[in-house]
Amino acid sequence: MGRLLLIVTALLFLGLFLVLPLLAVFAQALAKGFGAYYIAISQPMAWAAVKLTLLVAGIAVPLNLIFGVAAAWAVAKFDFRGKSALITLIDLPFAVSPVIAGMIFILVFGTHGWFGGFLRAHHIRVVFAVPGIVLATIFVTFPFIARELIPVMQAQGKDDEETALSLGATGWQTFWRVTLPNIRWGLLYGVLLCNARAMGEFGAVSVVSGHIRGVTNTMPLHVEILYNEYNYTAAFAVASLLALLALLTLAGKSILEWRQPELRHAARRPRDRTRRVNT
Amino acid sequence: MSIALRGVTKQFGEYAAVENIDLDVATGALMALLGPSGSGKTTLLRIIGGLETPDEGQVLFDGQDATLWPIGDRKVGFVFQQYALFRHMTVFENVAFGLKVKRRRERPAAADIRKKVQDLLALVQLSWARDRFPAQLSGGQRQRVALARAMAIDPQVLLLDEPFGALDSQVRHELRRWLRRLHDELHFTSIIVTHDQQEAIEVADTVVVLNRGRIEQVGIPGEIYDMPKSAFVHRFLGQVNELPVLFRDGRAYVGPIDISAAAEVQTGSTKNIALIRPHEIEIGPAASGWPATVVAVRVIGPIVRLDLCAAGQPIHEPLEAEISNERFEAERFSIGQKVGLRFRRWQVYPDAA
Repeated sequence: MGRLLLIVTALLFLGLFLVLPLLAVFAQALAKGFGAYYIAISQPMAWAAVKLTLLVAGIAVPLNLIFGVAAAWAVAKFDFRGKSALITLIDLPFAVSPVIAGMIFILVFGTHGWFGGFLRAHHIRVVFAVPGIVLATIFVTFPFIARELIPVMQAQGKDDEETALSLGATGWQTFWRVTLPNIRWGLLYGVLLCNARAMGEFGAVSVVSGHIRGVTNTMPLHVEILYNEYNYTAAFAVASLLALLALLTLAGKSILEWRQPELRHAARRPRDRTRRVNT
Repeated sequence: MSIALRGVTKQFGEYAAVENIDLDVATGALMALLGPSGSGKTTLLRIIGGLETPDEGQVLFDGQDATLWPIGDRKVGFVFQQYALFRHMTVFENVAFGLKVKRRRERPAAADIRKKVQDLLALVQLSWARDRFPAQLSGGQRQRVALARAMAIDPQVLLLDEPFGALDSQVRHELRRWLRRLHDELHFTSIIVTHDQQEAIEVADTVVVLNRGRIEQVGIPGEIYDMPKSAFVHRFLGQVNELPVLFRDGRAYVGPIDISAAAEVQTGSTKNIALIRPHEIEIGPAASGWPATVVAVRVIGPIVRLDLCAAGQPIHEPLEAEISNERFEAERFSIGQKVGLRFRRWQVYPDAA
């Protein structure tokens, strides 16, 4: 009885707060039929927004992938001075409002900012241009992968790597053949979260973008502009594309796991270790 | 390969994990490093294997200074307590790993690798499991895979860090005997770290007892058990009864029993304690020795353990004695029975505490 109640509560909650809004997005997008939907998403401005969003995510996610793996590796496998400071710093973007993150980049790279004069003299545009959007997105999304990996790597300890080294593997071989496969699911999950946030980020990007249509408008910004112009169908059409991207990434993850059942079996099972702290 | 440690010291922050260790391991020996947790035994093993670098001192492999050799060059096989099998690889791929990562020039042909892995799997009796994943194997089977994987690189030295610590006692016992046979067949030098004195005694030729980063005693198992050099070793190698030694008229006593005969009694200011193992206590008729009462009897297969409350001793600290089941069958000691105690053997140490 208690179990039934719990399941029903969870499902109701999920339906009310996740499924219903998602359905609403698609319903609203298709309210005026497929024709209107198609016209809305094939507008050049909409396409420019989609392309910019993919470009930004395409730069931010790989960079954060490298940073995330390096940071998690350092934190989990080594002891060094400033380790706790590093862990705290990784969390900084979670603690800071995205708007403030955007303001930081205006302050640093804006016309009247610290490097404003230098950038202007060299004709480099950062703020109100693509580089600013990329920087803001990297800043906002950089905890995702590291945060996902640190507990995984800490739980796995160093035994596997030390074994590989003792068997004659180089550091590089150890990373590719032992460490990376061990963290693949955590890494994939982190990348998905990071990507979803990179494509969906609004606050920080809004501050540094300047809202130049067709040039510095990402999908979330474009949705807002359309919405503010009372162009609901177009706004929800673009929003549905964003939602679709999110659903696709989740589906991709499920398919990957389903296609490699033995890996899921091996990777998901927490290692039966009661780690003994030894000398 | 012979291994020698000369003045090896390693600090972790303020904490000295091992201090000024000198140790020689002969070629083909099976040595156990025995000690409680925190005694430095694992650190010592990791220094030999190249996973840690000593702050001071040298590690010699066949007389050559190997202190700074990278781990991959040492030809050392490692086996960890938690197996450390690569979970995403099959048993076959695990064992083949050390061969496949070799530089192209040194790497054996694929067919040779397959042959070698199959031989090793046969050796550890796991040929049937070659396509299984580690998660599908039991603990004992996983540890055998780990051993086969370590042996694939033809190690000169096998280092085992509490290899059987995570297994239940039955499997543990079997694997120990199997390891011993394997060692005798293949003649590599092995060092095994354990906190289990029985494991050390059962499996090793030489036992090194460590305490707080220092060597307490090195010897063959029987010697370590029967002739401990310190109270620490005496206590660590098995059950002991600890009794204060009292001095009266130039003679030494434990309770009413005169132990002056065999003990080199250090009369004087230091407090002394006598350590007596349970099987060294002799139980006789009531009037024959130190009067005592039987307070508990436990039959454990071939032996029987008795708790005895001796006259003048605190009630909550009964002495523990061990007799054979045959003897017990003959004498039928029962709870509440009055008996007399004698000691067959004892050792006296200054009481450090």
